Amino acid sequence: MDKNFAERRRRDLIVAACFAVIAALVPLFVKDVYVQNIMVLTLMYAALSQSWNILSGYCGQISLGHALYFGLGAYTTALLFTKFGVLPWFGMFAGGVISAAIAMALGYPCFRLRGHYFVIATIVIAEIALLLFQNWNWAGAALGIDIPVRHDSWLTFQFTRSKLPYFYFALVLACIAWFVTWWLEDSKWGFWWRAVKDNPDAAESLGVVVFNSKMGAAAVSAFLVAVGGGFYAQFVSYIDPESVMGFQFSLLMALPAVLGGIGTLWGPVLGAVILIPLTELTRSFIGGSGRGVDLIVYGTLIVLISLARPEGLVGLFAPRRKAAAR
Amino acid sequence: MTALLETRAVWQRFGGLIANSDVSISVGRGEIVGLIGPNGAGKSTLFNLIAGVLPPTEGSILFDGEDVTRLPAAERCQRGIGRTFQVVKSFETMTVIDNVIVGALIRNTVMREARRKAYEVLEFAGLAARANVLASDLIPSEKRRLEVARALATEPKLLLLDEVLTGLTPIEAQTGVELVRRVRDTGVTVLMVEHVMEIVMPLVDRAIVLDLGKVLVEGKPADVVRDPKVITAYLGDRHAVSA
Repeated sequence: MDKNFAERRRRDLIVAACFAVIAALVPLFVKDVYVQNIMVLTLMYAALSQSWNILSGYCGQISLGHALYFGLGAYTTALLFTKFGVLPWFGMFAGGVISAAIAMALGYPCFRLRGHYFVIATIVIAEIALLLFQNWNWAGAALGIDIPVRHDSWLTFQFTRSKLPYFYFALVLACIAWFVTWWLEDSKWGFWWRAVKDNPDAAESLGVVVFNSKMGAAAVSAFLVAVGGGFYAQFVSYIDPESVMGFQFSLLMALPAVLGGIGTLWGPVLGAVILIPLTELTRSFIGGSGRGVDLIVYGTLIVLISLARPEGLVGLFAPRRKAAAR
Repeated sequence: MTALLETRAVWQRFGGLIANSDVSISVGRGEIVGLIGPNGAGKSTLFNLIAGVLPPTEGSILFDGEDVTRLPAAERCQRGIGRTFQVVKSFETMTVIDNVIVGALIRNTVMREARRKAYEVLEFAGLAARANVLASDLIPSEKRRLEVARALATEPKLLLLDEVLTGLTPIEAQTGVELVRRVRDTGVTVLMVEHVMEIVMPLVDRAIVLDLGKVLVEGKPADVVRDPKVITAYLGDRHAVSA
């Protein structure tokens, strides 16, 4: 039995490596910039959703305020670059560290809340942060920050002629988020998080310090999301509060994981691969007046999935386990 | 030798309700002690005070020679107090083995060792065949055994069992009794809350009867069941007179 477990872990790793290689080869055949753009976003949301899944899926602390960390990452990177000339590479890292610290500072009071109250707190805090940034003159207030584009360079992480560098960075980010999850899944923390999600009282009786477990999950999750935010700032080279800290980002991080399978290793990737292209396509086909149609499509999908496969789409790939569960 | 567990003049009040008043009990190393009493006697409260779910209003709790009165549950587990829950609290979305690994991780930081330890405990508890089943798929008696296995994986010095034998069929209960005996034989001290007198009395070395939050009687099971005060507490005055 022990061997089966190790084998499954190894198989996950091999499958992920294969997917990564295939994804890396796709741009050789797909030259269309629009499609490449969608691929970058898909990979980015896969990474974000995977990170969100660590706190909300594994540890069970549903956050609908992760836009806060995404925005913090974007703002830290952009501000450090435009105001102090700090390279985005350091900016992304700094954004991650700041977000992790803030996630823990917010977790201190919020993790005493349970269930719905915690969710509400995350939404409210992200909205407050949005308002603060909209009124913070030094950070560009509601107008945001225009990141001056110089020339294509890996140093400043700016590319105007080709989307490919962004594509590969997003791919690496998605791989890192996946790998971190894979690694944590079979670690002390991974077990503690799942225990905390299922039954905090029982976890506490088994020596799990529930509060610290939640703090750890929040820090890792916020760090990775902020790095994604920093990347996004470089990718679009213009940010304003609404476009990086708006509530829709919190949803866009949560939905792929929920659709694909919350608290699972493959759920977020699967969800992102289906949802993000769908969003972009519905948006472009229906045009400017179709704002919100993508969300209607989301909603419909979520309803259908939760009726047919409550455990998420990954359930389709594990029929045996499902049979055993019945 | 000092007792493994000792409560000294423990009081617990919930507003105007006094759940435990001046409870002083002690549990010696290697004993199986039964904590019994009618409904509302304060057994569960005392149990939770010992496990560290909440601190007592007054009094102190000593474990292994140290004052643990103010320590949180997780810290008490670290010191060697393991517990089960009256209403089973399995990690439902996790497999049986994963449930037990959570407990094993407190003494084994390397995953492979924790996993090995968890398998050992499952063998011991007779659940090895169900290792890879989801906890939500277990039948009630198996869930009870999982509770015990999970607590045992933390390698406790003192195991607190909260009504693990209640609601089982006679055969299941008998298996449970044997499991408790084997646990004691490995050197673990057991304090068990139980309702079913006829099962628990042959099992325990000593019984402590609580009534209305106070220690009513304490002693050998055979003496305790014949004590008029105990009969009154359980069945009312008339029966005590006729007995």
